[in-house]
Amino acid sequence: MSSLALDFRPSVPTLDANVSIGRRHDRVVSVDSADGARAEMERAGISRAIAYAPHAAAYDSGEGNAMLMDAVRGSHDLLPQFVCNPASDDLAKTAAHVEAEGVRSVRMLPGLHNYPFRPWVVEPWLDWLADARIPVWLPVEYDLLGAVYSLDPRDVYDTLSERQDVRAVLSEAKYHDASWALPLVRSLPNLDFELSRFVVTGGITSAIEAIGPERVLFGSRFPDSAMSPQLYSLHHCGLDDDDLRAICADNAERLLGLS
Amino acid sequence: MSIDMPVIDFHTHLGSWGRFGVDGDPDRFVEIMDHAGIDAACINCIFYGDARRANDLVAEFVSRRPDRFIPVAFVTPHYPDEALRELDRAFDHLGMKYLKIYPDYFRKPNDDPAYFPIYEWLNERGLAVMAHATYSFDKPGVTPYDRFTALSERFPNVKWVLAHAGGWGPDKAIEAARDLPNVYLETCGSLAARGAIENSVRTAGADRVLFGTDMALLDARHQIGKIITADIPHDDKRKILGLNAIKLLDLEV
Repeated sequence: MSSLALDFRPSVPTLDANVSIGRRHDRVVSVDSADGARAEMERAGISRAIAYAPHAAAYDSGEGNAMLMDAVRGSHDLLPQFVCNPASDDLAKTAAHVEAEGVRSVRMLPGLHNYPFRPWVVEPWLDWLADARIPVWLPVEYDLLGAVYSLDPRDVYDTLSERQDVRAVLSEAKYHDASWALPLVRSLPNLDFELSRFVVTGGITSAIEAIGPERVLFGSRFPDSAMSPQLYSLHHCGLDDDDLRAICADNAERLLGLS
Repeated sequence: MSIDMPVIDFHTHLGSWGRFGVDGDPDRFVEIMDHAGIDAACINCIFYGDARRANDLVAEFVSRRPDRFIPVAFVTPHYPDEALRELDRAFDHLGMKYLKIYPDYFRKPNDDPAYFPIYEWLNERGLAVMAHATYSFDKPGVTPYDRFTALSERFPNVKWVLAHAGGWGPDKAIEAARDLPNVYLETCGSLAARGAIENSVRTAGADRVLFGTDMALLDARHQIGKIITADIPHDDKRKILGLNAIKLLDLEV
């Protein structure tokens, strides 16, 4: 007879490392505003979140990033993440925008933006990220208008293995990706691992065994996903309090230079 | 507040699936069930073209831990004569509790007439069958609503469990469970769409939602977390996490 608790709140401070804020025009998102995200964070017991704008991913990174700042500027709980498109954006302009707004992380989507994550495209951007000590999130895929645009893990390995001065986060790896995602992060000490879609059996434990708890980040992929289920799973993996704290917030804070 | 009742996982698989790193280790299976707070799991094996082999593996596995696993039968429509004999054997001799079919890999949608002898057999006994609600090879315009309306009219005593339809599935599946008396939504899936559990409960009713995990592919802790953290009443969580399965399968608790 199970004594399973019917309610859940996280036992440690939590920072969600993968949230988006804003509308998409290819479908309705369940929550599209900063206040809506905050309400869900309150319900889930999550105190802060790293957020990007879907419009910045799908259409115009500069405009989308500005829309994001309009929604979160000055807030202590929603930490803006800018989308960058090295294939079309102006690096100097983007760097100035990032600096002016105090943004501490960026997101690149090579599959969606149709460029290889190779030095002959991204090197100037990686130079900037390394100099500015800004980490880059690399989602495994992005879905738009019914199509899925994927990251090529071979590009990530070849490029980041030569750029140990760049810190990156592999984000949204899912069960289909289990065969290569953990070998990839294990092979790249400068590539951390965000958990939002990694729900394969024993996946959290496998990720920790592969790269240690100091390189694993909790994320939810809200609002496409609910905020709490993967956080619940993290709390039921038998982790000690230090490791749980690291994964739920400390590692992300360190990456962003907040601690 | 604790649940204080058996938690039943309606959807798990036995066997290895190297493509996705599924190893089928029984000790690991039980360890994760314990972490997740699951008392018993309905387990099937769908990885063989030979249903007899699959069902024997399930029966042998369950015999080692009958307190933790509930056997589920499997047959294939590709061998219709074998299928009916295997149904007799699986339910009457191996003690299977419901039927799992896998139309995705059979490459036949579950309203293909090849399944009808199987459904007729289930219909005579009033048993449940679980399958996905839609398929990549469906003809344009096919909806779970139309599909299960037709199936439940033809086989009114069969209980239709729509796998993956309670957590993120197509809306028409939820509407089918709302409008048809013998249609149920099972919750597992790699996505945890915000509000999906709440929508299933609000639209179809908590009585029509069954908790499942898809172990050993998907982690049971994430799957049960979708139910525990859903914004629904505790009594609804109890129904989804066990009471509905106990009633549907007439389990002795």
